[in-house]
Amino acid sequence: MTVRPPRIVTPAAGLVFATACAALAALPIALELSGYAHNLLTLSFIMIAGALGWNWIGGFVGQVSFGHAAMFGVGGFVAGRLMLSMQLPAPLCWLGGALAAGCFALGGHPMLRLRGPYFSIATIGVGEASRLVFTYWERFTGGSSGLSLPIDADLKYQLYWWALGLAASVAAVSYAIRRSSLGLKLLAIKADVDAAADVGISATYYQDLIFALSGAVVGLAGGLYASYFSFIEPSDMFGFDRSITFVLMAVIGGVGTSLGPLLGAVVFVLVRTYLLASYPDLYLGLYGLLLILIILFEPLGLTGLALRVLGWVRRARAPARGPAP
Amino acid sequence: MSRVVDMVFSAVLLAGLYATMAYGLGLIYGVLRVVNLAHGGVIMAGAYLAWYLHERLGLDPYLAIPVVMAAGFAFGVALYQGLVRRLPRGVAGGPASLLLLFGVWLVLRNAAYLLFTGNDQAILTAYSSRSVSVLGSHVSVNRLAVLGIAVVIALVLHAVLRRTQVGRAIRAVAQNADSCTLVGIDVNRIYTLTFGLGTALASAAGVLLATVFSFNPTSGSSELLKSFVVVVLGGLGSVSGMAIAALIVAVAEVFAILILPAYLTTAVGFLLLVLVLVLRPGGLFGHRVLS
Repeated sequence: MTVRPPRIVTPAAGLVFATACAALAALPIALELSGYAHNLLTLSFIMIAGALGWNWIGGFVGQVSFGHAAMFGVGGFVAGRLMLSMQLPAPLCWLGGALAAGCFALGGHPMLRLRGPYFSIATIGVGEASRLVFTYWERFTGGSSGLSLPIDADLKYQLYWWALGLAASVAAVSYAIRRSSLGLKLLAIKADVDAAADVGISATYYQDLIFALSGAVVGLAGGLYASYFSFIEPSDMFGFDRSITFVLMAVIGGVGTSLGPLLGAVVFVLVRTYLLASYPDLYLGLYGLLLILIILFEPLGLTGLALRVLGWVRRARAPARGPAP
Repeated sequence: MSRVVDMVFSAVLLAGLYATMAYGLGLIYGVLRVVNLAHGGVIMAGAYLAWYLHERLGLDPYLAIPVVMAAGFAFGVALYQGLVRRLPRGVAGGPASLLLLFGVWLVLRNAAYLLFTGNDQAILTAYSSRSVSVLGSHVSVNRLAVLGIAVVIALVLHAVLRRTQVGRAIRAVAQNADSCTLVGIDVNRIYTLTFGLGTALASAAGVLLATVFSFNPTSGSSELLKSFVVVVLGGLGSVSGMAIAALIVAVAEVFAILILPAYLTTAVGFLLLVLVLVLRPGGLFGHRVLS
C-alpha cells in the first residue's frame, strides 16, 4: 500500500494565486496607474513581506517579537551601504542586507531560550539597544542625518515588480511552511516546548532557523524599503514604532494564520496613509484601540472575521437546501 | 576617590527609584502571571498627572503622590475589570495579554500626546536645585527625598503584604488560586485589587521619576525594561529581593560610565536585561520562573 501525503497546494488555490500575481503584475501597465497608487502598492508589497516574515516567528512559533525593527534596519542600512560604497546592482545589495539581517537574527540565539513574555520583553531590549548603537555609529549609518541612496527613477519604477515578486514568494513560502511538516513542528513548539522535545522536535534548532529566516525576510523588506524612500535614518528604521507596525499588521490580519498578515499589511498601509493624512495626531492611539478590540473580540483578526462571515453564509444557506418537511 | 563616593551615592539614590518602578510590575506578574506591558505607560501617565497638578494647582509633587496613586488604582481596577479579566488564562492568554496591554500603552501614549503635546516636561520645584553635603559629596535634596519616599513605599508595601488580611490573601492567591477559592477568598476581587495596587505603585514611581528626569509621551519603554530587569533579577515575590536587584541595576548603570562611552550607558539596562534573562532566568534569589 502506498501512502500518499496530502498535497500542499490544491490546483485551484495555486491557480487563483498565480492569476492574482499576474493581474497585479500587469496592473500598472494595463491601467496606467498614477504615481501615487503605484507607490502605495509598492509600499504595500514591501510591508506584506515584512508582516508575513514577522508572522513566522510571532505567529507560527508564538514568540511575539517587539524588536523586528532591528532586522529591518540592519537589512536597510547594509543594503544602502553596499549601494553607496561598492556600487553593486540593487538586487545584490538587497540580498546582502537580507543575509546580514539573517545573521543578526541568528545572534539572537540565546534569547530564543526564553518563552512568552520573557522573550517579548527581551526583544524590546534588543530593539532599543540596536537603535541606540546604530544611531551613534555614524560612520556606518550616517547618524541622525541618515543616508541618501542613489536611486534613479527607473529603479524606483521597477521596484513595484521587485516588491511584488518578494511579497508573492514570501506568501508562497508562508503557505508552504504552514502546510508542511515544518509547520506542524512549529505548531508543536508553540503549544508545548517540552512535549515537542519529547517527540524529538528540537525547539532550539527550529526556533533559530525560523528566527533567522524571519529576520532575513524582514531585512530584505528593509532593503527594498530603503530603495523605495531613497533616504533612510536610524531613528525611523530602528524605531520602536517600526517594530510595532509588524506586530499590528500581523494582528490585524490574523496572528499565526498562513496568509492573514498579507491582508493585515494591505489594510494597515492603506489605513495608515489615510490616518496620517487626516488625523496625524490620533493614528497611534487608534491602532492601540484596534489592537485591544481585536484581541478581545476577534483574536484571529480579519481572517477570523472572514471565517465567521463564511460560517454565517453557510448556515444561512444550509436550511434553504435542506429537505423540506 | 571622591568620584567613587559620588557614584555610589548616585547609584543608591537611583536604586530607590528603580525599586519603586519595579514593585508594580512584579506584584501583578507574581499574582496574575500577566506581564503588564502598559506599565511604562502608567509610569508616564503618573508623571504627567503630577506635573499637571504642580503646574495648574501648585501642588507639591510629593504631596501629589496620594492623589496620583488613587487615580492609578482606579485606572488599574478599571483596566482589569474592563479588559484583562476577559482574556483567556494559561498558555493561550500569554500573547493575547501582551498584545492587549500593549494596545493600552499605545492609547495612553497617544492620549498624553494629545493632552500635553510631545514636548519634554519636567517638574521643577523651589528645592529642585538645592543640595546638601554628605561625606564630602554634594547630594541633591530632591534625590534624597525620592530615596526616602521609595523606602517608605517599600516598607508600607512589605507591611501590607505580610501583616494585613488582604496582603495574606494576595500572597495566597499568588501561590495557588484554586485552593484560595476553597477557603473562601474571592480570587477575582484579589486579582482586581492587585492590578489596582500594581498600577498605583507604577504611577507613584512616575511621580518620583518626574521630579528627577524630564519625560515626554514616548517615555516608558526604558522604564518598563528596567523594571523588568529588576523583577527578573530579584526573583518574584519578595520586596527585599527586588530592592537589592534595583541596587545592582543602578550600580551597574552608574559605574558603566567608567568603561563605556556616555551614549551607551542608556543601553546598559537593555544589555543587563538580556544577560539576566539568559544566564539567570530565575533571578539571583528565586527559583526558575521560566516555563
